[in-house]
Amino acid sequence: MNKMSVRWVIALKEEAKVILDYYEMALINKKTLYPIFKNIEETHWLILSGIGRHNSAAATSYLYTISNASKWTSWINIGIAGSGKGDYGNIYLVDKIFNQNSFITYPATMPKSNLPKMSLLTTDIPITNYSSKELIDMEGSAFFDIASKLTSKEFICIMKIISDGPENNIKQLTKLRIIELLKLNLTKIAQVVSYYENLSENENQIKERPEIFFKISSNWHFSVTQSSQLENLLRRLKVFCDNKEIMDLIKQCKSSSSVINSLNNKIKTNKVNWSDI
Amino acid sequence: MIETIYIEKKIKNHPRTKSIQKKFKKSRFIEIDKYAEIFNKRNQNFRIQKANPNLILAHKNDGFVLRTPEGFGIGSSKNFYFSHMYNCIYDCRYCFLQGMFSSANYVIFVNFEDFDASIKNVIDQNINSKITFFSGYDCDSLALENVTGFAKHILPIFQQYPEVEIEFRTKSIQREPFMSIEPMENVIMAYSLIPDLMSSSLDNKVPSISKRIQVISDLALRGWKIGLRFDPLIHGKDWKFLYEDLLEKVYNSIPLEAIHSVSLGPLRFPKKMFKDIFNLYPHEPLFTSPLYSNDGIISYDTNIEEEMSVFCKNLTLKYLDNSQIFRCY
Repeated sequence: MNKMSVRWVIALKEEAKVILDYYEMALINKKTLYPIFKNIEETHWLILSGIGRHNSAAATSYLYTISNASKWTSWINIGIAGSGKGDYGNIYLVDKIFNQNSFITYPATMPKSNLPKMSLLTTDIPITNYSSKELIDMEGSAFFDIASKLTSKEFICIMKIISDGPENNIKQLTKLRIIELLKLNLTKIAQVVSYYENLSENENQIKERPEIFFKISSNWHFSVTQSSQLENLLRRLKVFCDNKEIMDLIKQCKSSSSVINSLNNKIKTNKVNWSDI
Repeated sequence: MIETIYIEKKIKNHPRTKSIQKKFKKSRFIEIDKYAEIFNKRNQNFRIQKANPNLILAHKNDGFVLRTPEGFGIGSSKNFYFSHMYNCIYDCRYCFLQGMFSSANYVIFVNFEDFDASIKNVIDQNINSKITFFSGYDCDSLALENVTGFAKHILPIFQQYPEVEIEFRTKSIQREPFMSIEPMENVIMAYSLIPDLMSSSLDNKVPSISKRIQVISDLALRGWKIGLRFDPLIHGKDWKFLYEDLLEKVYNSIPLEAIHSVSLGPLRFPKKMFKDIFNLYPHEPLFTSPLYSNDGIISYDTNIEEEMSVFCKNLTLKYLDNSQIFRCY
């Protein structure tokens, strides 16, 4: 079963169009504060935040609640950006974010990527004096600030495509051109997103409760402390016992404490067979 | 390959920073104010970072030399440690560093001269005591020597104080600068070892046991004193056979007169640290062992610890004197 989970926060519908098509997301059938899209499997969700830091922060937080995102959901912000340094039309991963309020943070960019990296300045008003700035947008810092409260930094990604700069006047940027810029970079975007899909799926496999936990919990009543003990014991036992062996161990147990004791006793007698690993 | 190197502004022009930068020509360099902006922040995932750690070059402000915890030592009345680096290039599943920092990035403190001054100060204050320094408590002392050059830098200090011991504890097969300089009586090259079969499962990214034994032997023949650290002692099926095989191999490969000391230490984690490490690696076979919580420490049952320690000590006594064997706890 596919347990990966990706959430997109994108400012403009032109920036989102190519992504929505590629990941087959459709508008959800529900009245929402911001337009929200998802695919049939509900693994990809996308929110159109609108322009600006406040919108981006609010939309990120809203999508988290509406889509029931987990601690190991990957969060992606993609969009166009101005730049005084990079190459027009190229896509960049962001590895440093700052804004005019002295906020500075350092996203953990994906490892082993061929994409170049740049720093991002998030501003509250459009800037046309690009000077020496690498990337300039109006949402990135707020998106990252909120997303990093929802998951660990390794699950957050910001990608920017250079759409304007000293040689490319922002006034000439049309809706069609924005869609075109996204389309030209779609293969690279999909490669990056594939990394975040795997990251989310792997983390889910590591962190989710063993299925047998729910089976056992439905047969005996466990207190909160006992539930935590049970979960930890099952994680350890699952390394060297299959579900049937575990169920056989506890089938005669009359109470939750006797279940815990039986599982504990199995651990107590375990000798790791290092030649099997 | 290190993708990104973060550099504190304060040391961006330090000659050691420049020298390290030259070794990573393809990396991206990012200036930062303080290493704490990147390192050990909340909401980081140690396991994911460990797959591809970045490097941080920083200035250490204080705490250059510290007392070792109780139970850590090889016979001196006072033991101190210093760490020019945080975190390790290896990924050993029993290592406390997994639970120590939330970040797996490497931090190298480039202001070695401040370590020099603190070491000299501690020596001056303990002139009448037998003291031992341990290099690299929060890292492997030699694994990144070809990048940092810290051992090469610090050794001349200890040439000035032949009565003060220094131990470099490592799992690396780093030979330099030791093969190129005259051996020093007060330097102990200490190697952490576990049986080969366990090492291939638990010592990730670490040179094999046979390669480590080869380097130990080469350094011993060159005249350096050797410390053998069977710490932690790992339990499991056939542990007696596995440890007997390891110890016999080691004692028959190294000139015994080169061995300074042997220490034996049980597997142990502070409770909170264990919880963090278990959450990172819940499917790790090591944690399927019978581990108990006692006085805030997670360890094997005392009887298992005792049996393993006595077994290894008795094997060692066939080759070495009792006074050379230490038990860590």
